[in-house]
Formats: sequence, C-alpha cells, structure tokens
Amino acid sequence: MGRRAADIARAILPIAATAAVLAVLPQVWFADSTYTTGLVVDALFLAAYGVGFNLIFGSTNQLFLCVGALASVGGYSAAILADKQSVPIIGGVAAGTAIAAAVGGILSWVAVRRSLTVIFTGIVTLVFSLAFENLVLGKRDLTNGDTGLIVTGAATRLADTRLGGYYLFAAVVVAFLIVFRALQLSHVGWAFRSLRDDELAAELAGVAVARYRIYAAVVGSAMIGLTGALYAYSDGFITPATYAFDQIDVPVLVLVAFGGLGTLLGPVIGATVFGFVDHALTTRGQLREALYGAFIIVIFLGFRQGVIPTATALARRLGRRRRSRTPVAPPQPD
Amino acid sequence: MKAVILDGILLGLAFGLLGVGLTLVYGLGGVLNLAHGAFVVVAAMVTSHFISAGQPTALAAAIGVLAGAGAGVAVDLTLMQPVYRQRGEHRTLLGLLLTLGLAFVIEGLLNWRNPSGALYIDVSGNPVHILGVAESAGSLWASAIALATGAVLVAFLAGTTFGRAVRSVIQDETGARLIGISPARVRTVIFALSGGLAGLVAITRAMTAPVTINVGFDLTIFALIVAVVGGLGSVGGAFLAGILLGIVNTVSAYYIGQYITTIVLLGAAALTILIRPRGLLGR
Repeated sequence: MGRRAADIARAILPIAATAAVLAVLPQVWFADSTYTTGLVVDALFLAAYGVGFNLIFGSTNQLFLCVGALASVGGYSAAILADKQSVPIIGGVAAGTAIAAAVGGILSWVAVRRSLTVIFTGIVTLVFSLAFENLVLGKRDLTNGDTGLIVTGAATRLADTRLGGYYLFAAVVVAFLIVFRALQLSHVGWAFRSLRDDELAAELAGVAVARYRIYAAVVGSAMIGLTGALYAYSDGFITPATYAFDQIDVPVLVLVAFGGLGTLLGPVIGATVFGFVDHALTTRGQLREALYGAFIIVIFLGFRQGVIPTATALARRLGRRRRSRTPVAPPQPD
Repeated sequence: MKAVILDGILLGLAFGLLGVGLTLVYGLGGVLNLAHGAFVVVAAMVTSHFISAGQPTALAAAIGVLAGAGAGVAVDLTLMQPVYRQRGEHRTLLGLLLTLGLAFVIEGLLNWRNPSGALYIDVSGNPVHILGVAESAGSLWASAIALATGAVLVAFLAGTTFGRAVRSVIQDETGARLIGISPARVRTVIFALSGGLAGLVAITRAMTAPVTINVGFDLTIFALIVAVVGGLGSVGGAFLAGILLGIVNTVSAYYIGQYITTIVLLGAAALTILIRPRGLLGR
C-alpha cells in the first residue's frame, strides 16, 4: 500500500512541479513585459504540440510529419465554423479537435494497414502536410488563402493582454501531461512500451499493435488539433504560415527529440531550451538560421538519446558506482 | 496533348535527376540526406561565382559539379560518421536530424553572405521541333544531360566492378563486408557521386529557370518524393517515377490548373507509396 502510494506520488510529482513553476512564473519573471510573455506563450504551445507528437512518435513509433497540418485542420475548422456558421468558441474548438483527431486516426489507420515503416509513415504524412497546405491556399473562398483569416468571436481579451493566453496554454500543457501520464500508467502504456521495444514480440504476446497505434494517433492528433484551434482563437488571426511545416513540424521534431522521445517532460524541457535559444538567436539577425542549424547538429551529436534519457543514464551510472563501493550490495543488473 | 506529354517527359527527366542523388545515398547508407537541396544551391552559387569572375560557362559548371561532389565527401567523412555507427531506424533518424541542421546552416550562411545570389545559364539557340512540338534549346540540353547521366549511372552500376560492389552494399552491408568490400569507402564514393548529381541538377535547372538560394528545401522535398515513389535505392526507379510525376504534373496543370496540380501530384505520390510501399522499382 505504502509502495503504491509512493509510486503514484512519483508519477504525479513531475507534473505538479511543472504546474507550480508555470503558475508562479508570471509573478516572478515576466508579467509586466508583453514581449517576454509572447515568447513564453510561443514556447508553451510548441510544448503542447510536442506532447501530442511525443504520444504519436515517441510512444508508438509513428513519425507524423504533419503536426502543423493537423493543427491547421483544427485551427481552420474552428475559424471557418465561427466565420460561416457563427459557431461559438466552445463548439468551434470541439469541432476542430474532433476533425483533427479523425484525420490523424485515418492517417494512422492507413499507415498501419499498409504496414509502413517509420520513414514511410514520415513521408506519407509529409506529403499530406504539403497537400493540405496547398488546399488551404487554394480554397480562397473559405480560407482567404495567403491573406489569412480573422477569427470571428475570438476572445479579444486573451489577445490583448497575452497573459490570458499564457494561463490558457499553461493549463493546456499541464492537462496534456496528465493525459500522457495517465496513459503511461494504464495498460495502454504497457502496450506502447512493448510495441516500441519490439513490435513483433508485442504482436506475438497478444498486444493489438495496430489498435494501440491508431489509439495513440487519435489522442495525439486531438491534442494537436485542440492546440491549433485554441491558438486560432487566442491570436484571432491565422494564415497558412501560422501552421507551416517549418514553423511547427521542424521545431517540434527537434525539441521532442532533444528532450527525449517518449519521456513525459521531454517536450516541456525541449520547448524551454528552444525558447531561450530562439530568443538568444533573434539578436543575431541574419546569422540566426545558420546558428539554429549548428545548434541542431551540436545537440544531436551530444545527446543522441535526448536530454532526459542521457541524464537518467548518467545518474544511474553514478548511483551504481556509489553502491558498488559498499561491499554488501549485490551487483545490479541493467 | 502531344506537347503536354512531351513537356511532362522533359520535366520528368529533371525530377529523375533530382531524385537519383538522394536515392543512391539512402540505398547505400540508410541516410535520407535532407541537405540534398542545399547541395544543389551550393553548386549553383559556386558556378555563378565563377561565371561572374569571367570563366567560361562550361568550366564554371564543371567546377560547380565538383563543388557539389566535394560537399558530399566532406559531409560523409565528418557529419555522417556518428550516423553510420547507429543501426536501422536510429541511423535514419539521426541522419535526418543532422542533415536537417546542415541544410539550415548552409541556407543560413548563404542568406547571410549572398542573399540575392542566383544562377541562370542562357542557352542560346532556336527552339527545336520534336515530333512537331517546339521545345526550347535550354530544356532540351537539360533533358539530354539528365538522360545521359541516367544511362551512365545504370551502366556504371550494372557493368563495372565498383558498380557491382555498390549494389552488393545496397543489398546487404554485412554480406558485402564478408566478401571484402569496404562499405565505408563505397559510401564515400557514392556521397561524392550524389553531391555531383546535385551539382548537375543546379546546372540543368539553371538552363530553364534561375536557381535562387531559397529553393533548397523545396528541391529536397521533391527529391524525397521522387526517390520514394521510384523505390529507395533504385536508379531506374527514380527516373521512371520522375517521368511519371512529370507527366502527371503537366497534364494536370494543363487541364485543371496550378493549385490543384500540386495536390494531384502529391496525391499520386501518396497513392503510389500506399499501393507499393517499396516504390515502383524497389525490391
């Protein structure tokens, strides 16, 4: 009983700590600066996309290179419904989330049915991203094309102060982390781990690999679509560039891989580091892009498995060394 | 209709030349080189530099192709070494991320030093009539180069000892090592070849339209699609896929319109991948 309580406490602790930090951050740091608040909000929604992507790629090995497109599905669905049908915010966000979840589920279903490998899933979803971006550009009557769409019924107060946006996305990130942790701790988490370690073995042990993949894709895509729809409302204005591949997919892939694929806090740590790096690089002007590339190369040469797994491995090795000095302890297997 | 198909074939040969450089490196090292488009831009800028320095175009173009090959070797010997130490999907993912970073570095540096750089090679000569269709001299030259390159590549892989060594590494790296082939050396040569092919893409594209410094990413994506549709690792497949996609592109652009064309093209690519995940000519 005591052990179980300790397990649960350990499972919740990282989320509670993240929530606490996010709650006090405005008071101790940036509440008076609109600019800094904007930067932090950017990092937060990248983290939110990151948790969704991490659920799909990190947990079930499906390389979804369509995070921006799924967010765009959510955002444009919500915005168009508000624009043409005067649907209220809640309805628009719910519809956007549901449609994104359905699209992600279909993509995953196709990939699973055709047993595509990681790279091929990546390429099919990349092709979907490009096609969807062109669709948004082409359907001018609905989306206004390049000019962008003003989201009617957007909560102007959120856009005005930005602090409202901060609390909104902070709550979203924490909620996503809770969902992610709950899935990890349930039987679904066991299935995810087994299919990620060895797909064939998982299948032989009776894990319905296909079903769990689609499951992860639906939940992850719903997270991404929800974030995209909320972004549309909080900003009040979206263009195809808002959800462009290089704006969303590239940073999300990099920050999740940097934080550690499949780890709970990986996307949050990745987004934090990236927020700082991005801010540091804006002052470098034209060299920004090159430095950004150099940063990507250096971190992946250094932390091949991601920051969190590298740190845990290091801690474990240090711990083992300390234990091996005490003569009574038996050697620990890996 | 005849003109549209012919245009499609010419465009397709350019697509094929673009895809073949990517497909070789993937087939051999399991690395999807996301800096392939950036190599094209590097070769274009080197060529453009030597042309404006007063060198004859042919010499400048040759130097550009060599620069592409040199970039390939440099990347293989440095950045790719930790990638080759990984296996399977870890290798692909790490390769993907490192070459993505490299693409940013190259594009960023060019944006910084040479933002208005562009290469355009003016091929003089009257339009030539083929089967009653007038085609510009530039696009015919480009297609002839692409076709010749494809033929040489196929002959090289099928007919020479080194070509057979390459194919054996593509089939089975361990097996190749067992019969005394060094996969590392083969990979370096193929990376050089791939870089050179990127250089040729720069030269041939510049004969029909200016190659500017911001085309890298689009070229990479297109190379990826062509290579995958053709079957990763297959030279013939890349050209076949290029020609098919080229025809789809011009036919759809002629009859439907440009916005939808991109979607049709991407749809055709996605459909091929789904129906035949190994690609048209992949094993």
